[in-house]
Amino acid sequence: MKRLTLIILAACALIMLLAASDLPDWADPASPASSHLSPGFVEQAYEATHTPNVVTAVLADYRGYDTMFETVVVFLAALIIMIILRRTPHRRFCKILPHRPQRQGRDTVLKGAAQLIIPVMQVFALYVLGHGHYSPGGGFQGGVIFGASFILLALCYNLEFTINRFRERIVLLCCAGGALLYAGVGALCLAMGWNFLGYAALAGILGVSEAMARSHGILLVEVGVGITVMAVMVSIYYDLASGGDMREGL
Amino acid sequence: MLLDLVVVVLMVCGLLLFLATTVGLLRFPDFYTRVHAAGKGDTLSTVLMLGGLIIYLLRDFNGETALTAVKLSLIVFFVFIASPTATHAIIDAGYESKVPYWTRRKGAGAGYDGPERRRQDRQI
Repeated sequence: MKRLTLIILAACALIMLLAASDLPDWADPASPASSHLSPGFVEQAYEATHTPNVVTAVLADYRGYDTMFETVVVFLAALIIMIILRRTPHRRFCKILPHRPQRQGRDTVLKGAAQLIIPVMQVFALYVLGHGHYSPGGGFQGGVIFGASFILLALCYNLEFTINRFRERIVLLCCAGGALLYAGVGALCLAMGWNFLGYAALAGILGVSEAMARSHGILLVEVGVGITVMAVMVSIYYDLASGGDMREGL
Repeated sequence: MLLDLVVVVLMVCGLLLFLATTVGLLRFPDFYTRVHAAGKGDTLSTVLMLGGLIIYLLRDFNGETALTAVKLSLIVFFVFIASPTATHAIIDAGYESKVPYWTRRKGAGAGYDGPERRRQDRQI
């Protein structure tokens, strides 16, 4: 079985390497990407999408498909880690991990620092998410910061405390809900008679110009990405820290 | 001119502390002393250097530099909270999991009963 996996992996790697030889050279000014695409994005992105940060415009609008499936990949990562690690508490061989020291009385220092830092972190995460139109940032970065704030909470108090406030069921709903929000915006555009993820279709619903509608569409999609990334971070942490039974752990 | 001097003094102090931190991190004998060096020196040198940068920025005072200075002072504030807390957490984790400490006598710190002794101390 292992040998078969190796053969399949080697075959995939060979195909990738063969395909890589067809790519244009590094920093080749005559390649199609440099001669047609980049100048077009730089010149037209602001008029077309009202998004000063061209990177965000390209990421969430021009290459919306790519980002959508990146979000799905992140979601799949959480699902797969859950499939591998998650166990119900009452099954046999539950405790395969060596005994971890249980920390009952949590540290006052850590609690105090967490109370000071976590609210600020979460506000900052929302800022990073919402400010992606104007500065480096966006759904992935904001979501990671937001997820890290929950991980910090779990580290400074304990896992049970965090799970009681952000239950696994809700975490998984958020995982799927973010990706669904992204795809739902695309499907709404489709229903309005435009292309999938053609946010200009939202102009009628939002009552703004087409360029502004694309800006708002980017924001909606970024919120979806942020929710998924945040929930995936928390879900992976829950599974890894408790060894899959959600009862004890860091 | 005087402000420039203050900036230079702050930055040089910060750099020297960073150097001391690095030397301590590399040269101290065991886990606890190394983390101690890293936590203490790192925090203060970051605060000193960022303080120097804030003063350097505020030499020509306008809205933009004031905003940047506020952001820098927020960084100072959070480093000042987060770095010692992280040091405390790491040391405490090492103490709980009985990481041996260094003594002059060979092997004296290896088999100590850290957490148990602390629990006894608490009961007294």
